[in-house]
Amino acid sequence: MVSQAVSAVRARPRREREEEVLVWPDLVFVEFISAVVFSIALMVLSAFINAPLLDRADPNTTPNPSKAPWYFLNLQELLLHMEPAWAGVIVPTIALILLAAIPYWDRAADGQGTWFGTKHAGKITVWSFCIASLITIWLILYDGAKHVEWTEDIIRGTGLNSDFIWPTWLDWARNLRGLDTGINWSDLSFTIGPFTMFEDWRAIPLGIPGTTTDPWLLNLNFPSFLSQQIVPVATMVGLPLLLIGFTKHVLGWIQTRRDIAILIFTGFIAVFIVTTVVGQFFRGQGQELRPPWDIVVVEE
Amino acid sequence: MASVERPPGKGFNDQIYDLLFRNYVWQSIFRTGYPNTPRNQMLVVATNVFLHLHPTRIHRTHVKITHTYCLGGLSFFMFLGLTVTGVLLMFYYVPSVERAYADIQALETNVRFGLLLRNLHRWMAHAMIILVLLHMMRVFYTGAYKPPREFNWVVGVVLFILTLLLSFTGYLLPWDQLAFWAITVGTTMVGSAPVLGDESKFLLLGGFEVGTNALIRFYTLHVIGLPLVISIFLAVHFWRVRRDGGLARPL
Ligand code: HEM
Repeated sequence: MVSQAVSAVRARPRREREEEVLVWPDLVFVEFISAVVFSIALMVLSAFINAPLLDRADPNTTPNPSKAPWYFLNLQELLLHMEPAWAGVIVPTIALILLAAIPYWDRAADGQGTWFGTKHAGKITVWSFCIASLITIWLILYDGAKHVEWTEDIIRGTGLNSDFIWPTWLDWARNLRGLDTGINWSDLSFTIGPFTMFEDWRAIPLGIPGTTTDPWLLNLNFPSFLSQQIVPVATMVGLPLLLIGFTKHVLGWIQTRRDIAILIFTGFIAVFIVTTVVGQFFRGQGQELRPPWDIVVVEE
Repeated sequence: MASVERPPGKGFNDQIYDLLFRNYVWQSIFRTGYPNTPRNQMLVVATNVFLHLHPTRIHRTHVKITHTYCLGGLSFFMFLGLTVTGVLLMFYYVPSVERAYADIQALETNVRFGLLLRNLHRWMAHAMIILVLLHMMRVFYTGAYKPPREFNWVVGVVLFILTLLLSFTGYLLPWDQLAFWAITVGTTMVGSAPVLGDESKFLLLGGFEVGTNALIRFYTLHVIGLPLVISIFLAVHFWRVRRDGGLARPL
């Protein structure tokens, strides 16, 4: 591996002098102009828009909604859909490790130095960005039970049943937590011979009593484990894999690892942007989904 | 005819030039004359410590704006601007729970250009994060992480994390409701880690909740700890861009 990297350095063709320009003035000029443009733009921005300064910090009055800085709102958004340990720590850690690992996985040296260097790179980027944004939005709406609201509105609107409400037998499909609260778990225990299996799904003993004090290990709350961990994690792993499979076998656009890297990286950027925007502009009191003009912060 | 016989004398322009750029003081500082000849232009880049971050020549395609959109350079420019405005802000700000908020208010109302200073620092911090993200995207979509630049991509990821941490630690300093609750939300997330969650949160805050200790920790990290660390990584990053043969080019 080491020798490969070294030979990659050596293998670079010698630069032809005619292809080169002098840093002074050609590059220094571009740098200088861009710095001036940015300085002016930021000066103008700062002259017209003030940095926020609210009331003095008060640990006893909590603003609702309370939000992290915008670049962490993507994580705060995840927090609404899964176990905090996943949303706040494990997912971002894994995401950063995977990000840093890209060059060690996609090792082919060709295709560097040009924008969208593979045959289908452009298409893959646009496709991945759109589909990942759409699915993320759809998932957020689903977990916000928007389909319940809309179905009720539509059916009432048709006049067929003017006080239609979402049927209880579909409670499990209200949102993610429906898998926990919308299912009558105690109906699901069964007997094998003399034993009753899963008498209490909410306290499945896992550890040997006396060996651990961790309540999680002693009594697994399966319904909550399912809705807060298994399903979200399976979604985060499964959908990207499905996307790769579909793009490769159905669309036929994937030829190299570089294509997969582009597909997944673009999807990541799309999810990052969508969750950040939703967190910043569409979350009101109690982190409910709201249109931006409907968001008021109250202090409690 | 006459011009051939007479040795060329110094014109007026040349005399001015010599006066300005070939005098003892100028040459003690810059070593070269004014960079108006290819030789001087290369020398000025090679002998100036700041310009020496660059090579003396680069490939034609890399000065095209559409290759880098100057995003890395602008990220660095934001860092420099934040350092300058940050040092000025330090003149007026005391990191204590009693004073912090009042200091910011006083800065905005009593200090000439104080509000502008604070706005600039705030908007540059946001701009830096966006620019770093865009820079990462430009590097990715031009395939510039490929051999031999794998490690510089990793250094980049570290720079991205450090940029976020710098911004996050600064967020608490005004000690207003926005700051306090944003940091409370953020550090609660840290606390939910499956291993060492509570311990990390305690380490970060110097206690169980956001208070005096948290403020002093965030302040110290913000004004000296993290800037030192990011400077080291920036040095490595720039060094590696040069060592890896300049910007990536098609093989
Ligand atoms: C504080 C943040 C950063 C600063 C100030 C910075 C600065 C720079 C500069 C000035 C360059 C020269 C070319 C250009 O302007 O595009 C560069 C190149 C590069 N940067 Fe960054 N960077 C930062 C963060 C990152 C991040 C987050 C990544 C990736 C995850 C990254 C990866 C790279 C790579 C691989 C190159 C070589 C590009 C090539 O050969 O075309 N950098 N950086």
